[in-house]
Amino acid sequence: MLALLALATAAVLAVMLYLPTGVVLVNAVVEDSIPTLAPFVDVLTDPFYFGVLADVFADPLAIGEHLHALAGWLAAISISVGLEYRLPLPFVQFELPIPWVGVETPGVRQGLFGFTAYQAALSTIASVAIGLPAAYILANYEFYGRRTLRSLTILPFVLPGIMVAVGFYAMFGRSGTLNTILGGVGLGPVAFVESNPLAIVILAHAFYNAPLVARITVAAWESVDIRAVETARSLGASERRAFRDVVVPQLVPAVLTGALLTFIFTFMTFPIVLALGGLQLATVEVWIYDRIQRLDYTEAATLAVLETILSLGLTYAYLRYESAQTGLSQAASPPPKEALFPDLQTVLSPRRLAILGYGLAALILFVGPLASLVVGSLTDGSGFTLRNYAFLLERQLEGESFQTQPWPAIRNSLLFGVATLVVAVPMGVVISVLTVRAGRSGTIIDTLAMLPLAVSGVVFGIGLLQGLVFGISLPGGWQFQVTGAVAIVVAHAVAAYPFVTRNVSPLLSNVDPAMVESARALGASRFRALLDVELPLVASGIVAGAAFAFAISIGEFSSTVILASGSESYTMPVAVERYLGRRTGPAIAMGTLLLCVTAASFVVIDRVGGRYEL
Amino acid sequence: MKRRTFVGTLGGGAIAGFAGCLSREDTGDEDENGDANGDEQTPDPEPENPDLEGTLEVVTYESMVDGDNPAGPWLKDAFEEAYPDAELEWTRLPDQGINHYINSAEQGESIDPDVYLGLNIDDLVTVDDNLADGGLFRELNTGRIERSGRIRDGLDMGDPHDRVLTYDTGYISLVYDETEVDEPQTFEDLLDPAYEDALLAQNAQTSDPGQAFLLWTIDAFGEDGYLDYWQDLQDNGVRVLDDWTESYYGAYMNEERPIVVSYSTDQVFASAEGHDLSRHQVGFLNDQGYANPEGMAIFEDADQLDLAYAFLDFALSNDSQAEIAERNVQFPAVEDEYVDLDEEFDQYAYVPPEAVTVGYDDLRGNVDDWVDDWAREVASQ
Repeated sequence: MLALLALATAAVLAVMLYLPTGVVLVNAVVEDSIPTLAPFVDVLTDPFYFGVLADVFADPLAIGEHLHALAGWLAAISISVGLEYRLPLPFVQFELPIPWVGVETPGVRQGLFGFTAYQAALSTIASVAIGLPAAYILANYEFYGRRTLRSLTILPFVLPGIMVAVGFYAMFGRSGTLNTILGGVGLGPVAFVESNPLAIVILAHAFYNAPLVARITVAAWESVDIRAVETARSLGASERRAFRDVVVPQLVPAVLTGALLTFIFTFMTFPIVLALGGLQLATVEVWIYDRIQRLDYTEAATLAVLETILSLGLTYAYLRYESAQTGLSQAASPPPKEALFPDLQTVLSPRRLAILGYGLAALILFVGPLASLVVGSLTDGSGFTLRNYAFLLERQLEGESFQTQPWPAIRNSLLFGVATLVVAVPMGVVISVLTVRAGRSGTIIDTLAMLPLAVSGVVFGIGLLQGLVFGISLPGGWQFQVTGAVAIVVAHAVAAYPFVTRNVSPLLSNVDPAMVESARALGASRFRALLDVELPLVASGIVAGAAFAFAISIGEFSSTVILASGSESYTMPVAVERYLGRRTGPAIAMGTLLLCVTAASFVVIDRVGGRYEL
Repeated sequence: MKRRTFVGTLGGGAIAGFAGCLSREDTGDEDENGDANGDEQTPDPEPENPDLEGTLEVVTYESMVDGDNPAGPWLKDAFEEAYPDAELEWTRLPDQGINHYINSAEQGESIDPDVYLGLNIDDLVTVDDNLADGGLFRELNTGRIERSGRIRDGLDMGDPHDRVLTYDTGYISLVYDETEVDEPQTFEDLLDPAYEDALLAQNAQTSDPGQAFLLWTIDAFGEDGYLDYWQDLQDNGVRVLDDWTESYYGAYMNEERPIVVSYSTDQVFASAEGHDLSRHQVGFLNDQGYANPEGMAIFEDADQLDLAYAFLDFALSNDSQAEIAERNVQFPAVEDEYVDLDEEFDQYAYVPPEAVTVGYDDLRGNVDDWVDDWAREVASQ
């Protein structure tokens, strides 16, 4: 049974992942049917792409020269200590004396790859810093609406980039919601976006990815075996010590998973940087898209291969670490949740106040842009209007058959989402099971299984088009072609199963192997042992993974739009894109609909999934 | 006919005067021009009994069918009324635009649509750079398209293979907030400290108005001077965002900056949405606007050739021109006497004193490098 599932997974991956990406990536190493490495040499030695490293790549053996250059750079660094009369926050203009260590480094040309990695690293740090407190609160405190809030953490994930960009401008713009509120108390306006575009881009990345970090970490926290903590405490460990030695080791794989995914995503970020930061902050993916547009597949493929190598290398390094962490967890018995605000006195304790402060910041960062988006769909220059929703209704009721209508988009999105979940969860779990106990070879398979996350979305899309939509000629006059609804679901499942795997694997590797062995010794088949012993122990990871699978499907745009072209299989994000015109209102209204439908679905998924948890 | 004898665009300046002051210059350096003009054979001779029955497939961009109050549904109904035995079927342009059809042609796939509505000059250049010269679309016999003589002189796309007819045009201009800045009169003005951190533009790699604005600066400063100008613009703090929607609806409408590269029809939307027009002033640098004519063409292997010709002629009729212009919020392609526009449209849609466009001959073989060099300069880290 397990073998059958594994075979099916491999077949799906071969057709829907390796074939389409291979069709494009082969352009990087084959020129006029002759194998070549010339495109790589061209890219690696181009300072535009690799900055100072380009010289090193151009002449890797001139070590003395490179060391000399490095020494010269180090010598030019100057360090100064002084008082700086401002807060180290980019947007605040109050003057406060703050001791400041100034490090002046001579400029280093980072190149496109260097800058891309730099902003991805900053985005990862920000996402973890913002995501962890949320995970802590959601996993340790009980309050009204906690479950719903936990369900909704995934919401930012499904939003099309254009919606997030417009939402951020509507929230943080000079005449945006936040400045309107500040103006109400006599402050501002503050040029949040203008004063530091990179900071806004990083915040937007955190908007997408901090919930991801939080979500994965909460799943791990709720799988902690509290009895181990109790044992440690009864043996004399302080509360802090027990947390550090027992709980933290069980959380670290989840946090690192979240950080890894965030880094890979933000390394391949595309619409957000250009929409909020501008071309000055361009990333590698921007150039891949441009090369594809200009039909220069060789350079696009070369850049994409380098991107993939980097992502997979990082994934491999992480997975080596993860597989070394075998735990002895026997059953998930999560720590009891404390009431968040039991009485007024507790509310004023420093910890509760910090939580309140965090809540306010989260409200501004996460709810602000979404709420501003909704407000934007309901207003125009003269105030409140329902015009944009009237457009959607009219299109639904009176639209021509060749026009895009809201209801089919909603229906398709939900259908594809559920179907994706059904396909992706078994795929993801099978890969987790096969790799977790397989040692080093398992790590390699696991790394390769992460390929959907590590391949440029632009390249995957064009590969689908060339490999599957146009079709591939087979010997004997056969034509292999895949399009339509089934292809969309499978493409979504391929994009989604890594989330299931990454949510399940850390938990699975914590399960004490002795438990499976006892079950087998008592006569259970491997599949039976998986079903009755392991899966219940990792249920919270499966539910989290399933929610991600659904979210990936709802939010997926680039391959959907290619596979849906010419058919009625369009989804909500595709409809948003199609309604986008000189008047933006209709598209924003459709985006608001997407937001509401998705929010409702997540609450339902978590409620249904919750029955299988614990 | 005047249109057919006009060849290419004009050397460096490429300025096609709006009031019909069309200058001619026969480049005559390649024999492709000979094909277009001197060829004895007329392409697609007019048949005795045109076949006006069946389904005509027209591919077009999304806002023509899916936008707010789109022209597509009107065109379909009106065309089917005029040709009762015909049906017009809209096909939505695939995400990759013209590249989709270039790929199809390269891979030997059959191309279903008969007509392409919404072709830009640089689409033609991309076609010819990647396929055989003059590929993908048919050379038109404009003798069969009675109303083609109505098209204003300045709107010719300069295709040496005569594959395309313009059906409407937009003008790229600045839109500015008169309460915050004075109208910039020239490109040099934008380098003034008064306009520091004031301008929002779009990425010429992906955005139509972005590319138009870049080409406009190339027209003004030449291909040797435009990068220096952009260096100065960057020093003065220009922001190059991804696309029109983010830069306009996102940044400009939230008052991030007081000037944005946009369309000269801006007030049509602003007044309909009830916005204060002081923030929606249209500015023409050097008294110019950059014209982005949109064209229509017939695919090489069109099944419904006669219907396709009929459609091209139909799209240039009085009613079609008015409806396309007002619903698309673009300007008609025909001379004023052949179209009646609403007063409201006339009031809020501005035509620049002089229209500029970089034509086919100049774009050919250059546009990719121009955009590349520009993007590398802006993005260099």
